Amino acid sequence: MSFEIDVQAFEGTDPVYDIASEVFAAMIDGEPGFVRPWEGAPPAPVDELFAWVDVTGPMNGRVLLSTETTTAVEVTRALLGLAPDEPVVHADIVDALGEVANVVGGNVKSLGPDHSVLTLPEVTKERPTTEGGLLHTLSLDWRGRLLVLSLWMLP
Amino acid sequence: MKALVIDDSRTMRRIVTGILTPLGFEVTEAADGQQALDAMNAGLEVDLACVDWNMPVLDGLSFVTAVRRERKWRDVTLMMVTTESEQAQIVRALAAGAHEYLIKPFTPDAIRDKLQLLGLVELEESA
Repeated sequence: MSFEIDVQAFEGTDPVYDIASEVFAAMIDGEPGFVRPWEGAPPAPVDELFAWVDVTGPMNGRVLLSTETTTAVEVTRALLGLAPDEPVVHADIVDALGEVANVVGGNVKSLGPDHSVLTLPEVTKERPTTEGGLLHTLSLDWRGRLLVLSLWMLP
Repeated sequence: MKALVIDDSRTMRRIVTGILTPLGFEVTEAADGQQALDAMNAGLEVDLACVDWNMPVLDGLSFVTAVRRERKWRDVTLMMVTTESEQAQIVRALAAGAHEYLIKPFTPDAIRDKLQLLGLVELEESA
């Protein structure tokens, strides 16, 4: 069975946006209001990082977070409470972005049927295969930086 | 009080450690359930274990089950800290012996509230 989340069924609100807002408010910013939908056409990203988790079982899908590496560095700093001049090592960036994808993915999973299973997060510089088709995409503005959350069906 | 933070994400371990330390906990970290069990079997004293669910090698539910099987660890307080929010999974974890369940994302206040409920930190006096 494919990814069966009807994001239009939430009475005018986007549940994925709500999840992203909650994750950033609780874990990253410490207060709400720093994540909003991207206004206008999002710019073409460069030097991207991709973090995702798969949901398997009664529904099969992928929750994918993509952003530029420079933004991932700032997300990592915010998550870990690092000062602007503190160095951030690549392993921390990978782990932090993966954990954001994990928490968002876990909450997206809760929108679907019970008994689905979440995989461990993966993070790469190459876009993962998404052959099953795009279900939903959301361009987010976090402090003026672009993050894209997308839900994909898995074949 | 001694806490063991078990999560395969180093980021999440650092976040939880950063919340527990100012509350007076001496924190040790483990990257999966097996690493945590090994540390406890080697003599690590633990009053509180904060346990992620989805981890490689040995997951959080298996860790909770293993701890509850041992009489020597009966006083260890177990709190799941996880993205698993399905009601059936929460019931499974509590039935296996977890005392509390906290769903990610969480705030520092949410952890402190759970620890107050568990009697591991003192209640804040109202202003």
